[in-house]
Formats: sequence, structure tokens, C-alpha cells
Amino acid sequence: MELKSVLELLNAKQFNLECPRCVKEINYAFVCDLMSDALMLLKKMPSHIGAHGALVTGLVTNQALRTAEILDLETIIFVRGKTPTQSVIDLADEIGITLIGTQLTMYKTSGLLYINNVKSHESVLEES
Amino acid sequence: MENYSQDYKIERNDIANAGTVASLTKRALKKRGLSREFVKQVTIGLYEAEINVVIHSYGGTVKVVIEDDFVEITFQDVGPGIPSIEKALTKGYSTASSYAIENGFGAGMGLPNIQSVSDEMDLQSSDEGTYLHIKFFITKDCYAS
Repeated sequence: MELKSVLELLNAKQFNLECPRCVKEINYAFVCDLMSDALMLLKKMPSHIGAHGALVTGLVTNQALRTAEILDLETIIFVRGKTPTQSVIDLADEIGITLIGTQLTMYKTSGLLYINNVKSHESVLEES
Repeated sequence: MENYSQDYKIERNDIANAGTVASLTKRALKKRGLSREFVKQVTIGLYEAEINVVIHSYGGTVKVVIEDDFVEITFQDVGPGIPSIEKALTKGYSTASSYAIENGFGAGMGLPNIQSVSDEMDLQSSDEGTYLHIKFFITKDCYAS
């Protein structure tokens, strides 16, 4: 799904508009607030299949970015109206992660992405 | 390729910088042509252990060594140590503070995660501190195709 369409769907904004390495597409998503859960579950995700992944979280810190970086997730969707600080946005620019934010809850965000064919971790693994 | 050896200091409660060593190591591993999958296993182990030092110890050090056939990472921190290594290796067991949980950690998955991604792990702890050594073997399958 194109990033532009995701922004419209979630009535979201992109925080780092000038990031040259940031992606323009989201094909699968994983939702969590505890980063070790993401690290545990996504560690076997084949990178060539899991391209253009998004982490959906309410954690607006460097640790969400580091987790995404390590897992090769290229986008973070902050839910519940959370806004990152400028230092978090600067780090996202440096490591090439697209940051977007929505006022929606995690449940509604996930539901909207799911019905619009953004794949789950499970469906990506089933296809591999 | 030339061997790589870097030493870093990790400060207590410095959550903002936790993951910096994992990020730098990721770049070094990618430069050597190693696959994304292999790099991910190494950096997950390194990152989880970095977080553990930040949130549980009074501070410590980490040494990262990359040679042709292995990656070796050694952590040494200063107290209070792990009261029960057996419990700490159980998925979901956690003694983390609310500070750690607010920052996205403390789910009790750190050490089980480190153990599951590494090829070798040596963990020793006393009330003076904790020593963690993890090793990942590099085989021809670990290189990007």
C-alpha cells in the first residue's frame, strides 16, 4: 500500500518529510508496545519477503526506532496521538525510517490496515 | 577481511543511547557482505544485552569482535547481578522496573531471546556483576547471495 494512501486511511501525518531514504510503501505491519516481543517474533522474518514493513506502536522513543532498525522495518506508525521529540525525528532521518502518526487507537489502526490488505506477520510467513 | 574489534562503555539508565552499539555493529556486518538474516540475529542478541546492562546494572562495557568465521560479543557489568539465572532464562520472567517497561522493555524476553539467536552463550553472575559472552559462527550461508 502506498504511503500516501496509508496517510489518508489513518488521517495521519508524516513527521520526517525531508528524509531522503524513507520509503513510500507499506506492505505488512506488526503491532506492539513491548520491543522484545517484536524482536522475538520477527527475528525469523525473511528479509526479502518482509520488505516495506511497519511497526505500529505507542512507544515514541529511540527504542522503537532501534527495534525497527534491527528488524529492517522501514516505517513506524505512532498511534493514540503520540508525537515524537525532535531528537527522535533526527535519529529517524539518520537511519532512514519513515515516522508517521495518527490520533487513532492501536485497534482501529490495525483494523484499517488489515482490511486494506496490509499483511500480518502470520500471512507473510504462510506465503514464504 | 581485516578483523574488527571495538570496545564501548554502557551507562546505567542511559536508555536514549541503548542500541547504539547494535546499530554500529549492524553497519560493520553489512559492510562485510553478511546477509540481512544473519545480521539480524547478531544485532538482536547485542541489542537485548545492551538494554539489560542499561536497565538492570550500574553500568558496564561491551567488546565486539568480528573475524572471518565468527562474531564474538562480551559484556561485563557492575552489580547487582542476576539472583537466579534459571528464572531469568524463562520466557516472561522479569524483574524490570517500571522505568524499563515505560521504555518498551521488561517483558521477560531479553535473555531467552539472546539465547535463541546465538550459537554459544556463557552467562555468569554474582552480586558484583554479570558476564555475558555470546558467539555467532559465520559460515558460507551467512553471506548475502
